[in-house]
Amino acid sequence: MKLLTLLKKELRELLTLTTVITIIGSVILLVALGSVMDSAMSEIAESGEDITICNKDTGAFSGAVIKSLEEADYNVKLVDLEVGDYASQLNELDIASVVIIPESFSASVENILSGELNTEGKITPVDVEYVSKMTSLSALSNVDVGSQMALTAIEAAVKSVVYANKNMSLAEIELIESPVNLIETTVVGTKQEQVSSMLLSSYGMITGMIIPIVIYVLIIYSSQMIMSAVSTEKIDKTLETLLTAPVSRLSVLMAKMCAATIVSALFAVAFMVGFDSMMGGMASGVAGNVDNSVLDKLGLNLSVSGYILLGLQMFLSLLITLAISLILGALAKDAKQSQTLMMPITVTAMIPYMLSMFVDMNEMGVVKWILYAIPYTHTYIAQDNIIFGNTGLYVGGLVYQIVVLVVCMTIAVRLFMSDKLFTMSLNFGEKRKKTRKKKSPLAE
Amino acid sequence: MAKVLEVKGLSKQYKKGVYASHNVSFDIDEGEIFALIGPNGAGKTTTIRMIATLLQSTEGDATVAGYSINDNPNKVRECITYLPDEAGAYKTMTGTQYLKFMAGIFAPDKATANEYVKNATEMCGLGDRLSDKIGSYSRGMIRKLLLSRAVMSRPKLAILDEPTSGLDIINALEIRRMIKELAQKYGMSFLLSSHNMLEIEFVSDRVGIIAKGHLLEVGKPNELKVKHGVGNLEEVFERVVKDSEASDIA
Repeated sequence: MKLLTLLKKELRELLTLTTVITIIGSVILLVALGSVMDSAMSEIAESGEDITICNKDTGAFSGAVIKSLEEADYNVKLVDLEVGDYASQLNELDIASVVIIPESFSASVENILSGELNTEGKITPVDVEYVSKMTSLSALSNVDVGSQMALTAIEAAVKSVVYANKNMSLAEIELIESPVNLIETTVVGTKQEQVSSMLLSSYGMITGMIIPIVIYVLIIYSSQMIMSAVSTEKIDKTLETLLTAPVSRLSVLMAKMCAATIVSALFAVAFMVGFDSMMGGMASGVAGNVDNSVLDKLGLNLSVSGYILLGLQMFLSLLITLAISLILGALAKDAKQSQTLMMPITVTAMIPYMLSMFVDMNEMGVVKWILYAIPYTHTYIAQDNIIFGNTGLYVGGLVYQIVVLVVCMTIAVRLFMSDKLFTMSLNFGEKRKKTRKKKSPLAE
Repeated sequence: MAKVLEVKGLSKQYKKGVYASHNVSFDIDEGEIFALIGPNGAGKTTTIRMIATLLQSTEGDATVAGYSINDNPNKVRECITYLPDEAGAYKTMTGTQYLKFMAGIFAPDKATANEYVKNATEMCGLGDRLSDKIGSYSRGMIRKLLLSRAVMSRPKLAILDEPTSGLDIINALEIRRMIKELAQKYGMSFLLSSHNMLEIEFVSDRVGIIAKGHLLEVGKPNELKVKHGVGNLEEVFERVVKDSEASDIA
């Protein structure tokens, strides 16, 4: 009953209105971001039908190319630009990009057909100019599918004329265009499917970002929460009152751990939903090209048991964080120091987090052993280990995390059971005052 | 009269040869108010924390209602309440929520918990402000709330470390009166600590003078004044400490 009373108190302390607003606000923000990303992707897809062309050529060939684009349902917009200062003209006309067909375009094609050689003794290729405006460093803002399509269409048109001039059949043209038929098979663990590994990598890169972000947020948030709770109790001396009450110290400790776990789990679920929605928006462009059944067959979609195994490692990381935070929070002298003491947790959570997004930590030679020593690493690589069937690494990581947890919990329990909780504190950067015995003025 | 607290040779050594409290012995009768007086760093809080089972003694023992602080700390905790120096309360709780929470911890059942809350509510005199968040309370209000919490279960021994520290005269007077009233009305025993010797002279039945970890003298304030031929406890303290230093040199 007393444990329940303590647990309720801890939950009340942690689940304040600010916390609830933060959780709900985060989910709303992430879902909104997902929606924005989704609409940005849709906009890019729609803009693929818009083509801006500046046709300086008066010949028949360029006219035929533009007509063929219009017949292919592209929204062709013709503009007239002066050669030279494109910056002001693009800004004035509010155009993101333009394909400029030069005056000599049709003549150049004629030259190719007639086999006329230039001064270097070669056939001169056809010039086409492409001008685009960069408006931001963000990846999606400069994507211009439409104009790229126009360039491809122009290139295809020139090629087809050249091939026709050589009296080549359609089958021959197709063969020259695609002389190699690539049959790509991707192997995942013991399974294989005929699908592009590049496509799967693009999909995996985006979807694989969700779990590390959730793990990182979970570690940092839960650490901050429990350290603040313990150090505040110690500084306000409410902990002294609790520990002299007729309730076991273990109950006090357990209540804090349980409450922090519950609140962190709530935060994790909320973030998981939010990030899933956001990344779903980001991945929509790529995911459209990947057949979900192929992902299932390759085991790239986590199964229920996979999620349970991943959840187990996340839970262990959370418990380790809470145990370490309890120890550090109990050693903090004041609120400022409790923030400083978070540094080891922040750094050890950040290193594998950053690496997990860019490299395979299991393939990092000697460095991987240093990374394996960080208990959080095993949670970051758990998803990969489960998907790619690295059972030994997963189990090894799990056992290591359990050992670290037992050690941390033992230290935390011993600290709470002993009077070191009140007699020990960490003094970072504080010079120990050396007191010298001064002669008493009365002694002189 | 039955002894509620018996302290025998209690010591706390932090480093080899460095004692925060050394060979301290005294006792407290039922319904008695006993005060440990001495300057900051004298060893008052260390002694009190050992009796409150927060710190482990390195030598000696103390019994509360017959239970040893070393062998049976859980039983001791059932007999005491402790109010630390300059303690705070949970700022996000209202006064009532705080009292209910603490009653839930101290009481063996719900009915007793309700009785404790009723006791504390009557005693603290905070009225409607009890429904406000503790974060909005003044220092005096918090101290009254905490003191009411410390005595709501009518413990055999209430241990109060610097109970009026940082309070204005009016609030300090009210708290002193509350302590005296509780001892007389309910037969509760109090172990206080303070460096304010004039306050202790007013509130306590007996005092123990402590300096540099050593309990130098124990007695009733008036008897000590007569013994040392001085007018107040501050002068008694000065005499006792000087006599002690003189005997150390000799």
